[in-house]
Amino acid sequence: MAHRRCLLSLARHATAIISQKKMPPLSAVEVLTRKPNPAITIPNSELSWFSFWSHSRHFSSSKSEDSETEVEVEMEEASDVEAENDNAASDLGRDYSPEEKETEAVAIGYKVLGPLQRSDRVFKDYEPVFAVVQIGSHQFKVSNGDSIFTERLKFCEVNDKLILNKVLLLGSPTQTIIGRPILPDAAVHAVVEEHALDAKVIIFKKKRRKNYRRTKGHRQELTKLRITDIQGIEKQEIKTDGKPLKAAVKNPEKIAAAV
Amino acid sequence: MGQTARPGPTARPKYGKVRTIGSAIAASLLPMALRGVWQLKKLIVSYCDWGGSSRGIRAFMESELPTFKEKNPQLEVVTELIRGQHPHLKGFYKNKNERVVCVKNMTPEDILLYATRLRNALGRKVVKLKTRHVTKHPSVQGTWTTDVKF
Repeated sequence: MAHRRCLLSLARHATAIISQKKMPPLSAVEVLTRKPNPAITIPNSELSWFSFWSHSRHFSSSKSEDSETEVEVEMEEASDVEAENDNAASDLGRDYSPEEKETEAVAIGYKVLGPLQRSDRVFKDYEPVFAVVQIGSHQFKVSNGDSIFTERLKFCEVNDKLILNKVLLLGSPTQTIIGRPILPDAAVHAVVEEHALDAKVIIFKKKRRKNYRRTKGHRQELTKLRITDIQGIEKQEIKTDGKPLKAAVKNPEKIAAAV
Repeated sequence: MGQTARPGPTARPKYGKVRTIGSAIAASLLPMALRGVWQLKKLIVSYCDWGGSSRGIRAFMESELPTFKEKNPQLEVVTELIRGQHPHLKGFYKNKNERVVCVKNMTPEDILLYATRLRNALGRKVVKLKTRHVTKHPSVQGTWTTDVKF
């Protein structure tokens, strides 16, 4: 038992080293094929850590019901995943040279960057349809032709078309579609109008009678989006008068869309 | 992340029909527009060839101003020599608003950032926002009152 415990602790060290040095798992697999039955040698000798790693893999492949080995396998996977996440988090603050990373980071903010406008007729008249859309951590009830001020959206320039894909609710005068929590087929199209700074707010701190006074100015970076289209719900056809249909007939049918 | 050509002045007539509708209603609300139309018309880069506070802007004019001009063909960029004064950037917007940014003792990268900010902005007055959601039609299914029954 003590023998196995020593091996397991050394295997844990080995996995820590592997996760730091980011060894590709393929080499370990090759080692596994080469050394199917690693001899249970004394851990004092400085063998390559592959053997220890393969030894622990051997345990997991044999599906032993030992709780220690199962926990250890989970720890290996967790440590590898954490290493990847740390790398991803450190990269997010720097230049996003691969465009795939841009789209991933954009997906975190629940928007998809579409192509720039090229003489599209995107700005339509008002349609009596609304949607509840989430950007970052803020939710807005939007309709066609509205303007939204959100936090500065990276990865999009002025005059870009966006698709906001996190839609929580769609509504029209006759129908309401509720998402659980989001609607997969709904899309809200928007155009970036401006990237600007908000007015300056002065953060003033004072402790009375303690000779402490601080003044700090802050300007929040905002993005103004103009909503152009809402898709995913049946829109009533507007008659050629140009006036939108008034919601005189209110028969809201609530449809819950299971996600 | 190269910026491609923006819709130039030729694109304006295509949006003209929609824009007039917007402007008629917008007269009662905040000045809107930029429906695909850039709002910054002209940028004046004023500098001094003798002063030390203009060093950054002189470097900016050599290194980054040509690329800025190419990326924004719709923008009219003018360089102006003012001797003995601090350098500044002046932006003229479609709503006849002027924004002046003093760029004395700034690095070329900072000046590019400010120039990009002027280009990205509408010409509206910088006031604290009342709401983050500006709409002309607040209700689709009818405004709720206490009498509404579902």
